[in-house]
Amino acid sequence: MTSLGFPLISIALLLPLVGALVLLFVPKQQTSRIRMLAFSFGMATLMVALLIAAYFNTAAAGFQLVDTFDWIPGLGLRYTVSVDGVSLWFFVLAALLTPIAQLASWSLVEHDVRAFQALLLVLSTAVLGTFVAQDMVLFYIFFELTLVPTALLIGRWGGANRTKAASQFFLYNFGASLFMLVAIIALYFANRDASGVATADIGTLLTNIQDGTLALDPALERLIFGGFFLAFAVKLPLWPFHTWLPLSHAESTDDGSIDLIGLLQKTAGYGMIRFCVQLLPAAAAWAAPAIGVLAVISILYGALVAYGQNDIKRVLAFSTLSHMGFAVLGIFALNELGISGAIMMMIASGIATGALFLASGMIVARRGTRDIRELGGIWQPMPILGGLVLTAIFGSIGLPGLIGFAGEFTVMQGAWSSATLGPGFLLVAVFGVILAAGYLLTMYQRAFMGELKPLNAELPDLAGREIALLGLLVLLIVGLGIVPNALFGPMQATLQQIAASAAQLALR
Amino acid sequence: MVPTWIVLLIPAFPLFGFLLNTFLIRREREAGWLASAMVLLSFVATIMSMVALAGQPEGARINLTVFEWFTIGSFRVPFGVLFDQLTAVMALLVTGVGALIHVYSIGYMHGDKRAVRFFAYLNLFVFMMLVLVMANTMLLLFLGWEGVGLASFLLIGFWFERKSVEPGIVPAAAAVKAFVTNRVGDAGVILAMLLIFATFGTLSFYGAEGQVPGFLEQAPNLAFESINLGALGTITVLGAIGLLLFVGVTGKSAQVPLFTWLPDAMAGPTPVSALIHAATMVTSGVYLMARNRVLFENIGSGDSWIPGLIVAIGLITAIIGATAAVTQWDIKRVLAYSTVSQLGYMVVAVGMGATTAAMFHLLTHGIFKALLFLAAGSIIHATNDTQDMRHMGGLRKRMPITFWAFALGGAALAGIVPLAGFWSKDEIIAAAWFGYAGAQGNPLLAVMLIATSLLTAFYVGRQLALIFWGEQRDHTYHAHESGRSMTTPLIILAVLTVAGGTINLPGSHFLDSYLEPVFGTAVEEFTLGKGILAAVVTLLAGGALYAGWWVYARAWATRVRLAKPDPLYHYTGAIWEGAETAWGFDWLYDAAIGRPYKHVAAWTSSVFDQQGIQGILVEGTGNVIGWLSAGFRRIQTGYIRNYVLVFFGGVIVLLGYFVLS
Repeated sequence: MTSLGFPLISIALLLPLVGALVLLFVPKQQTSRIRMLAFSFGMATLMVALLIAAYFNTAAAGFQLVDTFDWIPGLGLRYTVSVDGVSLWFFVLAALLTPIAQLASWSLVEHDVRAFQALLLVLSTAVLGTFVAQDMVLFYIFFELTLVPTALLIGRWGGANRTKAASQFFLYNFGASLFMLVAIIALYFANRDASGVATADIGTLLTNIQDGTLALDPALERLIFGGFFLAFAVKLPLWPFHTWLPLSHAESTDDGSIDLIGLLQKTAGYGMIRFCVQLLPAAAAWAAPAIGVLAVISILYGALVAYGQNDIKRVLAFSTLSHMGFAVLGIFALNELGISGAIMMMIASGIATGALFLASGMIVARRGTRDIRELGGIWQPMPILGGLVLTAIFGSIGLPGLIGFAGEFTVMQGAWSSATLGPGFLLVAVFGVILAAGYLLTMYQRAFMGELKPLNAELPDLAGREIALLGLLVLLIVGLGIVPNALFGPMQATLQQIAASAAQLALR
Repeated sequence: MVPTWIVLLIPAFPLFGFLLNTFLIRREREAGWLASAMVLLSFVATIMSMVALAGQPEGARINLTVFEWFTIGSFRVPFGVLFDQLTAVMALLVTGVGALIHVYSIGYMHGDKRAVRFFAYLNLFVFMMLVLVMANTMLLLFLGWEGVGLASFLLIGFWFERKSVEPGIVPAAAAVKAFVTNRVGDAGVILAMLLIFATFGTLSFYGAEGQVPGFLEQAPNLAFESINLGALGTITVLGAIGLLLFVGVTGKSAQVPLFTWLPDAMAGPTPVSALIHAATMVTSGVYLMARNRVLFENIGSGDSWIPGLIVAIGLITAIIGATAAVTQWDIKRVLAYSTVSQLGYMVVAVGMGATTAAMFHLLTHGIFKALLFLAAGSIIHATNDTQDMRHMGGLRKRMPITFWAFALGGAALAGIVPLAGFWSKDEIIAAAWFGYAGAQGNPLLAVMLIATSLLTAFYVGRQLALIFWGEQRDHTYHAHESGRSMTTPLIILAVLTVAGGTINLPGSHFLDSYLEPVFGTAVEEFTLGKGILAAVVTLLAGGALYAGWWVYARAWATRVRLAKPDPLYHYTGAIWEGAETAWGFDWLYDAAIGRPYKHVAAWTSSVFDQQGIQGILVEGTGNVIGWLSAGFRRIQTGYIRNYVLVFFGGVIVLLGYFVLS
């Protein structure tokens, strides 16, 4: 609860869900009213999220603004939601991308508007909930809940191959999550046996682990770690668990919902910090070098394969594979710098890649295709789109002064001075920096530069709403690149604590 | 007393100009004058800042932190400005030559449909270049470093819709090539920064008062610290940092093996070639080494191969650039390879530790090479965008101002006494021959440098003859002298080319003494031997220049024909062809890296990823599970609602499990 006396986080979680329910009472045909209503709920959620950020005590480590009540008392399960330095910005980003996704889809989604908007709002609640649930079972439910609206969104509004994409997405992610479920159950019972109290509360588990009440047997800890890691590695994704990603991204809708879907990857990164590093630091330190290798492979592999694509959205999908590789490298540096950089990297990827996904939708709306070979020279008829896309691309490449660099460099510095990774990983990973410029600029060269094809000559440039949307994201790309401390600041207290306890527990 | 915050105005003006031209200004004329005025104001601010610097106590520098950029635990990087004597001379060059080139562009870009954007980019470049030279930390320097790369990308690709520009370059491809090639170097700089922070705990060059000392201040204490590379032996920390930084230098300052982007960068409009790809941006690698002089100076004796390697790379670059320049037909490509070659000279100088000589040459080269490019632009402008020198000839009388400008710039480049280039080039050659700051001289190195300077003089003579002497070989255009906004900058630069050497004449040592607080090197004594060497070198250069002129204006003037090979080609054959392609680096990279990478990328994405990982690993696992449980196949129906059922079923099972246990 805040000093206001309002359960702000719960309100932010409920708002989209209530919005989705309200939509069901509006007649299907009134599409503009549906859009307006849905958008107002999205905006209201964003406002509450910003309020949460404003009330966040940046000097304090650990969970804040806690809302909690008994859920299933017999099992010690509670509904507990709260934010800390790790989750705060993910939460705000999810709340920001909801109205942006809605605005971007405004005129793009024409059939079944009501169902579309309702699903988007449900997805929003699910993603928001994943970042704030501080009870393991509640987390699992939110984490899995994201799959349903996503699969439905891809399966109903997606491209030609949408059914396959949706079912593959669902099965793959659902299957992997089962390992996490087992891990959660194991941790639950291990804690109950050790402390005598049945609870799935992450805060309590953390205290028990730190004060030694819950000292897991290394073998068991590694098994539990493996369960969590596998679930997150698939969703992140990490090489070689990535093959669902390009298909689901390419086949998903060409509207804004892709931004929110893209955020699912970040729930996995968040989960890795929360569970793999914070709860199981000794196993994390044990596995870090191997995971670091997978991360470096992901960075280079994503970049290599992105270069070979002809579909803008597939290029972007593989670019997030590269980005998430950097994020994992930072997370398993197991120090403050690395994890800070990883969070920044994921926020940056959400914003910059999100902007590029929106731009790809805008191109499709005009030209009917995302095939790079069909485009060419479109910077000429669309100078505003060209300029905004180029800025987002450089943000994604990691040009200093833009948001991507703030994440990338911090990750690299963290990994370099890490006790678990070290310079060797960077000597390889740094090639990702070169290759990123290669595939993204080549894409820009082929689609936006070069000779103007006759079919593209008359494409209209962005309209006001689109400029506002992309412009806002580009503003964040520049602004947060120049003042990264705005994001780093509130993370510090929590991450210092995580890094310190990780260092202490890993040694034990 | 001038307040120190005045230094902040230096980058602020061009940034302001960039923002205005991007978001508000829509008319070409306003854009051009606004952009020029902003750079001029920046020049004035630089001079005032120099006054402010002179008012500081002895040995002090202006070091202002604007705000905290990164603060994560002990990783603290301020966003701040450093203004010392080295910054001052660089900022003078950037804003001074920059302002002239802006004014010139008003005439040159007149009528281009995207002229407003051109001026916005140009201002962005000046801003980023100023950030580069004024940064007080390596990280902020790197912002400027990649920022000028961004501006360079935008300006090389300025005519992005053109299929190709002379001589057969695709602007969009050249822009991407420049950025990506530079990124290879930048990766080295990134690693260098990681190592610097890990070693010194700071990325600041100098600590502000009351703070941790900067890494340049700490470097001498760590001269003997070394890293164990296992089987590769050991390397000193400073040596490793220096080597990694030098990787960045080879990218930005177009050294072997990363120089190939620069000749293609000529796809940009000519004022861009003058400002970015000759006078300023490409010299930032030399600046980087000058800025980190303390670090390079302290590379241990065990790693003396590192300075040796730097000198060798510079020398090879100088030779490759000069030989390639001799054989080009394109007027801008001659100058581009000449820039590569002169940058090699500068790198040789910094590599030897003759940092002031390198800076001197950087400054004079900035002036006379800008002059040459602008004169070339004036010619291109007057001849309906002709760049092939076979299509020129006899332009001396039609374009007298341009002719004199080009001739003076060329003579300075060739090292003819008493032009600016003579003094600066001679200092480098003398430092090589007689040694510098107590170091042993290396006459063989000096002889190679002299040979290179003879090649330089030869291609200057060739170029003068081909453009200005003889008869006009192509009559499809009527050449005329350019307008005043273009000739005025030419005249000013020509005057500076004549007078520029005076900033560091052997007797006066003005630049030496001005930079002494930064480099801490004593002024070199002038000896009789140096005088004789200089006289011999300039006489030889004069002879080579005359030879070049004589071959193409007198002896074989009639053998220069449109689309026909060079007269000298018949006598040199394969050597000429090798030089013309700059010894095949482009071909090698394409064959060894570019094309294989494309194929591997295509194969990985269409075969390995889809059939290997997805097909065998993922679907194979799925099938195995399927065989193990026949039921699995039945629920894999593809209907989402079934999966939703499965999901809720899973949750219920989970809860039920808890309840029952």
